This record gives sequence, structure tokens and C-alpha cells, in this order.
Amino acid sequence: MASEFELSRNITIGQYIPTGSFIHRLDPRVKLFVFTILVIAIALNTSYIGNIIGLLLSIYLFLVSKIPISYGLSGIKPAIPFIIILGVLQLIFQGNVFSGGTVFFKYGFILITSESIRLVIVSAIRFVEIILLSSVLTLSTSTTELTHAIQSLLSPLKKVKFPVHEISLIITIAIRFVPTFAIEMEKMMKAQASRGADFGSGEWWRIIQRTKDMFPIIIPLFTIALSRAEDLILAMESRCYTPGNDRSAYSVYKAYGRDYVVLIIGLLFSILLLFYPFPY
Amino acid sequence: MPGKPILEIENLFHTYMKGTPMEHEALKGTSMVISEGECIAIIGHTGSGKSTLIQHFNGLIRPDSGKVIVDGVDLSKKRIDIKALRRKVGLVFQNPEDQIFEKLIGDDVAYGPFKLGLPLKEVRERVKWAMDMVGLNFEVMKDRQTFALSGGQKRKVALAGILALQPKILVLDEPTAGLDPRSRNELLDKIKYLNKMENLTVIFVSHNMEEVAYLADRVYVMANGSDVLSGTPEEIFTDKEKLQDYQIGTPETVQILYRLKDMGYNVDIAAFTISEAANEIIKVLANGKGENHGE
Repeated sequence: MASEFELSRNITIGQYIPTGSFIHRLDPRVKLFVFTILVIAIALNTSYIGNIIGLLLSIYLFLVSKIPISYGLSGIKPAIPFIIILGVLQLIFQGNVFSGGTVFFKYGFILITSESIRLVIVSAIRFVEIILLSSVLTLSTSTTELTHAIQSLLSPLKKVKFPVHEISLIITIAIRFVPTFAIEMEKMMKAQASRGADFGSGEWWRIIQRTKDMFPIIIPLFTIALSRAEDLILAMESRCYTPGNDRSAYSVYKAYGRDYVVLIIGLLFSILLLFYPFPY
Repeated sequence: MPGKPILEIENLFHTYMKGTPMEHEALKGTSMVISEGECIAIIGHTGSGKSTLIQHFNGLIRPDSGKVIVDGVDLSKKRIDIKALRRKVGLVFQNPEDQIFEKLIGDDVAYGPFKLGLPLKEVRERVKWAMDMVGLNFEVMKDRQTFALSGGQKRKVALAGILALQPKILVLDEPTAGLDPRSRNELLDKIKYLNKMENLTVIFVSHNMEEVAYLADRVYVMANGSDVLSGTPEEIFTDKEKLQDYQIGTPETVQILYRLKDMGYNVDIAAFTISEAANEIIKVLANGKGENHGE
């Protein structure tokens, strides 16, 4: 009951939990690459079995990383309403698109078939898989490592004048400041509550009132964000940051045998999920 | 002078982020009793649990275990009138100027009273009173833009925003941090006035021992999540052993007096207000001269 204002509790993005596990020690480039292809494979797989394999895999990765699975599950909690709303909408409106299989129910434009039910269940599992996988990735990889990985995976694009370094810097800054702003917002909510503000206690249909209730938090947060941005610019410039310059890295990553093994296993899993004709 | 107890804390525990790998026990059995009309300083190093403690005072954090009793209301009970509590205990956070969001000063100060649902006339009176209390002229300042103010003035506006709730207990977290010396002294005088003349119970967290010596009737020292020491500023600053044990800083006057004492001069450490300390030093200088003449 003490967690009325503990916002940072539910934010798993940008947090790093060092356990020194096998997954933590992997080359971040390999981790990011394998993560990307696994997410693509999961997103395109529409079978029950395939997604259950994916779910088991993501749980297994959590176990290997030695990060408590409860921590990954707490990242799912805020997403549950979305999963439910999405499921209901898909059930009602997607029957005509995914009209294959047995028809269970038909009333006006509402059509529920075994295919649309499959869509609902599979997308719910998919959601959980992707949240778990991204939690493993971000919880076991520091933001610095992640940026390096993004930068080196995107580096071929430099040939076509794509601003790889700038983009990865923007991503780092964005991820880096998520927990910071959660803390700021927590502080602001407490400060305004101390002078009589209340949030979310109004009736839910009074949307305008409830939005107005948020102004005392949102306006100060914007000013804080702007002044922080200014501070960051000064800090970077005083350390001679020059956009567009070539720069070397402090830590150089080297892929070992284990990284190649993980890469191959990841590829095999993705190919399995993408191309194997699962019966269900 | 101290009246009946207005705030009682008994064996209070609090753990942050319970059930996550970031779990952290911030309070481990803190107890204190604060009486009506007192001015209390809470000092201690970063991470000693001061901020967590003061957030219990107006129910932003509810006790994990132990008791917090504010003016007879037990905050460990589930069903309490939290809004009435926050009206009674005004909490001013660190850098409170961040919380200003209205365009005009008067509107921002009026936010709290409006939220209480008071009639316009009373809101106006309260805003006027609160702005007068912090030394902002109501007629001149109420329609000024908040963003054009200096840091010190912004802080006054934020403080007025809390005072407009007319709390019985005013809690401040490092009220003078980051202010220039002039604004600092002004603010300290306002706090002292509120405490002595308006009979507001004041509790403040500070790292500045000059401030503690100037304002506080009593001091609580926090270390590792519990209160380790309490007493009047005289008792705390003259207890050399404890000062070293808990690495408590002292006002510069106390440091000078200790050094004089170490050098063999007969000075009174408890005379640490600036004028008293000056008298002690003058006494030493006069005696010193006397000895020299004697030889």
C-alpha cells in the first residue's frame, strides 16, 4: 500500500541488473542481433505450438540470466489492459479477415471463427514473449553496451550517409532518461499531492477533468526536461563533443566461440519458427 | 513552551521496492516525539533515511511497520482522511520551485486552497496571507509571471503555495539548498517568524549546521535508517565524542571554539551563536594581551 507513488518500480526499461550470468557476458552485438531475429520470427509465427516454443524459450532465457522471473512479469502487468482490449477488438472485428476454419458464432458483422480465436490467443502469447525477451535483453545489457551494439549493427548504413552515430546517441539518451523522468514524475506527484492535488480519483468518464488534473505534473516535467536537455548539451560540449566527427570507442568488443554458438542457435530457432509447418 | 505532542513516531520501518532485486531498507526502527510549536532539525548523511522519514509525516508513504501518529491520527490505519492530513502537515520538497506550474504567481499560490474547495473570498485572503508571510507583496506580485522570477523568489512562491493550506506542521526538506546567501538568510528569518510568531510546528532537514544552530530548538541525528541521537543544538554540538562517532558536522563557530579549547584557552563551546562566539573570542584576545603585558 506504500507504493501509491512508486512509479519507478514498474519501469524495467533502462535498468540493468548485474548477475554476471552467461547471458550478461555475451557480446552485446550478438545479443541484439539474436533478439531482433527472434522477435521477427515470433511476430510472424501464427501457430500455437510455435508460440509456446517461443514462450518456453523466453522463460528459459530468464532462468539462464539469473534475473528473477518475477521482475520480468512485473513488466507485463501494466500491459495486461492493452492485451485484453486488443484481444476483444480482434475477436469482434477480425473474424471477416481471418475467416478460415470453423465458424463458431455469427451475428451481423460479428463473425467468430477458429482462426480469429487463434489470432487472439496467439497475439496474447506473442505479447508476453516479446516483453519477456526485451526485458532479458535490457536487464542483462547496460545501456552503453546496447548503444555500441546498435551502432555496430547499423554501421553498414554509413555507406549511404545514414547518421548511425547520431541515431544511436539519440536512442541512448532516450533510454537513459526513462528512469530519471520516472523519478522526477514521482517527486512531482508527491509535491503536488502535498498541496492538495489528487490524481485519478475523479470518475473515469470525466476525461477533461482528469486530464486537467495532470497539468500540475506535466507542465513542470516539461520544464525540467528542457532544463535537463540544456545541462546535457553544456556537459557534452564542455567535453568537446562534435557532431559528425569520427570517434573511437572506449571498449572494443570481441566475439568469442560462445557468441558464435549463441548466434547459430538463435538463427536455427528463428528459422524453425519462421519456416517449419507446425500442425497446430 | 513546548505543548502537547503533535507528531509521534514509534519504531518505524520502511523498505523501498519491496519484492524486486532493487529492494532497499531505508528506515530501520526510527522513533521520535515532536511537540506543538517546536522547531526541529533532522540531520544526517545522504542515505540515512531523512527524506523517507519526512514523507511519512503527510502520508505520502505509509508505515510498513511501526507507528506514525499526527495530531492524534494513527497513519498505520488504512482508512484515514488523507486530504485532511495533507492540509494539516505542509510538506515542502527539495527545490520546491520545480513544482510551480501556473503562469501567474497568485494563481499558483491559490492552487492548494482551490483544491480544498474554499470560496473565492477565502482563497484570496489565504493567498494574501501566505504571500505576506514569505515577504511577497500581494498587490504587486500576484499578477507577475512565475517564469520571470529569480531562484530565491520562486522558492518563496512555492513556500507560499504550501502556507496557503494553513498547515499546523510545516516540514521542509533542505529549504535553503542552492540559494544565494541573501535569499537564504531571508528565508531562514521567515521560517523563524512562522515558528515563533504564528506558532507553527516546524520540522526541517538540513546539511547546513549554521542553519541548525540558528533555527532549531531540538535536533535529531539520523544514521543508517534510525535516529541515533537527539537533543538541543548545545547538547549535540558540545558532545565531541558523538560528533566524531557519527561524523556530524558543526557550525564554523563550534569548530573555532574547539580549536581554541585545544590550544588551551578557556572557552565555552555552548556559546556558538555568532555574537556569543564573538564575545568568547574577544575574551580570549583580551586575556591573551593581558598575559603578554604581564610578562
